[in-house]
Amino acid sequence: MPTTRTGPHPAAVVAVVLLAAMIAAALWNSDESGTGARQVGAAAPAPVAVPAAVPGASCAPTVTNPGGRNNYREDAPPDVPLGRGLVITGTVRDTACRPLPGVRVQVWLQTSLGSERENRTTVLTGPDGVYRVTSDPAVAQFGEPNVHVAHDVDDSPWASVWQRHVLRSDDTLAVVDLTLAAAS
Amino acid sequence: MRWVAGVAALGGVLLLGLALAAPHLAEGSPLLVVSTLAACVAVAALAAQPWLTRRRVPAHVRVGGVIAVLVAVHVLALVLESPDDALYSMSIDGPTRARMALFATILLAVVTLLGVLRRRLRWSAATWRFVHGSLAGGVVLLGVGHAVLIEGALDGWGTPVLLALGALGVVGVVVRLVAVLRAGDGARQGPTPRDGGATPHDRGRVPSADDGRP
Repeated sequence: MPTTRTGPHPAAVVAVVLLAAMIAAALWNSDESGTGARQVGAAAPAPVAVPAAVPGASCAPTVTNPGGRNNYREDAPPDVPLGRGLVITGTVRDTACRPLPGVRVQVWLQTSLGSERENRTTVLTGPDGVYRVTSDPAVAQFGEPNVHVAHDVDDSPWASVWQRHVLRSDDTLAVVDLTLAAAS
Repeated sequence: MRWVAGVAALGGVLLLGLALAAPHLAEGSPLLVVSTLAACVAVAALAAQPWLTRRRVPAHVRVGGVIAVLVAVHVLALVLESPDDALYSMSIDGPTRARMALFATILLAVVTLLGVLRRRLRWSAATWRFVHGSLAGGVVLLGVGHAVLIEGALDGWGTPVLLALGALGVVGVVVRLVAVLRAGDGARQGPTPRDGGATPHDRGRVPSADDGRP
C-alpha cells in the first residue's frame, strides 16, 4: 500500500535532535582536561611562598582526583634526576596547615626521556615541607602534557593521595601542593 | 566526485607525512605510531565517505567497513599502549577531547550497524538515510574535533589539514542529505534525475514510495 509520507519519520527526527542535544550537553559539562585536573604550570620559575601556619588554621585535605593513579607504581627510585628544564615542586602540609618535613612524595610524568610508566622518582620534603624534582619538559600523553604527584607509603601516618594535573610543554615550573589527612 | 576522492587522499597523505615527521611519534612506541596512522587514514576516508553515496554506493559500503576497522585499531592500540590512560579517557571523568572521541566511536558503531541492518530494519528510505546520514555527520564532527584538540603528532600544519578534511566531510554530509531527502520529496512525481545516484543501493531492497518507485 503506497504511503504519502516522503520525509523521514518524525520520531526519527526527534530522536536525532534529542541525541545531538544530549551529546552537546555532555561536552559542555565536561572538564577540558578531565574532572578535577587543573593547570599547574608556569612559564617562569617563581619562589614558592610557604605561608606560616596560623594557630587554629585549617587546610582542606587534598582529595585524589580522577586519573590520579594512572600509571602509578609503588617502586619509584629515590632522588633520580628526570632531566632538566622543568621544576616540579610544592609544599606538603597537614590539615592544620603546618609544613611536613621528611615526607615521601612520588612524581611521575611523560618526557622525551620516557613515558609515565617508566619516568618517576621519589623525593623527601625539606624542613619547610617543600619537595622539588627537576625534569625534562613534559610531553603530551594522551593529548595533553600532565604531571602526577602522590604520597603513598605503607607505614605513613598520613593517608595516601594521588594527583593528576596538566601543564604546557614549554612550562618550566609546575606547582602541586598536597595537604595530607591523618591515616585512619 | 573524483576530485573529492583526490582531495581526501591528498589530505590523508599529508596527515600521514606530518605525523611521521613529528617528534611526538619519533619518540613514541610502535603502538602509538600504529594508532595515530590508523586515525590519519580514517579521517581522510571519513571526508570522502558522504560523497561516495553519489553513484559510488558499493565503494561507500566498503570504505565504511574500512573506517570501522581503522577506528577499532586506533582504540585497541591505545588501550594496549596504556590501559590506565585509555580507560580514564573513556570514563565520565575524561577530558572533553576524549569524551568527543568516545561519542564519535559510539556513533560510528551505530552508523555501521545501521548500514549492516538496513534491509532488516524495514525503515522508509528517507528515515534510514536521515538517521544514518545525520549520525555519520556527528561522527565526522566529533572525530575530527577530537583530533584537532589533541596535542601530539598533528599539531601545527596538521590542524588546518584536519579542519579541511573535516569541512569536506561535513559539507558532504549536508549536501548529500539534502539531495537524497529532496529526491524523496519528488517521489510522488516519479524518479528524478536529482536523485543523486543513491537509489541503486536500494533497488529491490527498500520498497517504499520514498524511493521514487511505484
